[in-house]
Amino acid sequence: MTHFSWLVDGSIVGVYLLATMVAGIMVRKYVGKVEHFLIAGREMNVYLGIASLAATEFGIVTCMYTAQNGYDFGFAGATPGILNALAMFFIGWTGFCIKPLRNAGVMTIPELFQKRYGARIRGASGVVIVLGGLLNMGVFLRMGGEFLVIVCGFDVKYLEVTMTALLLAVAIYTILGGMLSVLVTDFLQFVVMSLGLILVTILILMNIGWERLSEAVTLHYGAAGYNPFLNKKLGWEYVLFNLLLNSAAVLTWQTTIARVLAAKSAKTGQRVYTGTAFFFVCRFLIPGIWGIAALATLAPEVVGTETIRAMPMFLSTMVPVGLMGILVAAMLAADMSTDSSYMLTWGSVIYNDIMAPFRKTAWSEKKGLLWNRAIIALIGIFLLFYGLWYPLPKNLWDYLTVTGTIYLASMSVLLIACCYWKRANNWGAAGAIIFGAVIPVAYLVLQQIPATRDLANAVGPHRSGIAAFAIAAAAMMIGSLLKPGHTDTQTEVERQAMAGGAQ
Amino acid sequence: MTSGHWFWWGLTAACVVWYSTITVYVAIRGVMDIKDMLKRLDEKKAESETRAGSE
Repeated sequence: MTHFSWLVDGSIVGVYLLATMVAGIMVRKYVGKVEHFLIAGREMNVYLGIASLAATEFGIVTCMYTAQNGYDFGFAGATPGILNALAMFFIGWTGFCIKPLRNAGVMTIPELFQKRYGARIRGASGVVIVLGGLLNMGVFLRMGGEFLVIVCGFDVKYLEVTMTALLLAVAIYTILGGMLSVLVTDFLQFVVMSLGLILVTILILMNIGWERLSEAVTLHYGAAGYNPFLNKKLGWEYVLFNLLLNSAAVLTWQTTIARVLAAKSAKTGQRVYTGTAFFFVCRFLIPGIWGIAALATLAPEVVGTETIRAMPMFLSTMVPVGLMGILVAAMLAADMSTDSSYMLTWGSVIYNDIMAPFRKTAWSEKKGLLWNRAIIALIGIFLLFYGLWYPLPKNLWDYLTVTGTIYLASMSVLLIACCYWKRANNWGAAGAIIFGAVIPVAYLVLQQIPATRDLANAVGPHRSGIAAFAIAAAAMMIGSLLKPGHTDTQTEVERQAMAGGAQ
Repeated sequence: MTSGHWFWWGLTAACVVWYSTITVYVAIRGVMDIKDMLKRLDEKKAESETRAGSE
């Protein structure tokens, strides 16, 4: 029996939703140009950037898979968060890639690639980014809906209606206000989300206690529950793959890098990264603790094989009335901020890069805004249908990392080479894009075919992911070196980076 | 407790303390950032309208 009260908790959620919609819609009057819509006129400052980045990168789906990691692997399941934080701090501190990227004054990463690799690579990069991003995002809605159904005790038949209503609300303010609405609502959502996360975690630590949590991990997993290298399902492949994946995500994940591109300057973008870095430890560890609390309190037969449902099942009976409203509002906030930002930033790549050949003559700002809004609406429709029929994978984190690798492997190689390797060219870039995408796509296909499923499982998502990164890098080097008649000249990207570029 | 226990206990404590603190700080400074951002966008809009009017 859930503790969700429609009167108390429902009112808290209602007030939150109303405030978000009002804030999101109010800022639409500041949108006059495509630049305002996609990158907030490059007027984002440090603290708004931190709130927005943290809110965007934490959705219900994040909470679900990180809690599942806690339930399935104990504390060792939070390892990707530590790796992500280290990567983000290092990149923010040094400005590795993000400084020349921001100084180039582009709106998307593929736009930068055109300066080095040409228009075709820009278009191909756009396609790969959108493909990987949308496949990744496809599971968000259903996962969010499942969480709400379990925690609030809704009848499961309302899942689709809940998902549709949530997406519609997000789409309305994102279509109207673009990045400006995303930033303002992200800020509000960061505050609500953080309040819920902190209060529930403190409640768990007070009610269940650290001793019981660590006892549960020791009982189920022994030392492997604390050390990923000792866990047979994780091991060095898991750690290495997550290091590569999280570093690549910090460098090229469209929603993350959009904050650097929207920042007032490269320095501001770097400060957003260093300031947000530790949040990525919290992003894995806090829901991980919730998952471990489910492990400590729920009998395995109650949870069954779908361990992703363990955390919401636990929360539905542990969180009291009042706090339940804050929790649901927090999770809605987390989900809405993620959905809005994902729709906007992937839409920006479709408009800016995939549609670039159709914009050879300059479009009016009005026409540009209309197209951007239409693209976001279409992404929303795609998400609704994909989210409704695609069956949820058993291990969500693995699904997300494999679909993310479709573009993270090649785009990170292209970006690093674009910024720091003078011999990089379009041959190498094409090779990296093809090989970087083929391996994860092949893995996903092999996993779906009964005859090859065992082979795919024997290779595993981590080894196939490492192979994708290694082969994409090798393809970039071999392709670039094979192209005849290339000279080592300073590129426009490097010149702008050296000069400080457009701030 | 083993070193593994201590490490994760310390990290959990750090998360709760850091996150609670940073939320309050970012909530306050973020409001100022939003005000500044909207003010600058308003100024830019007024500038471009003035420029368009004079042309």
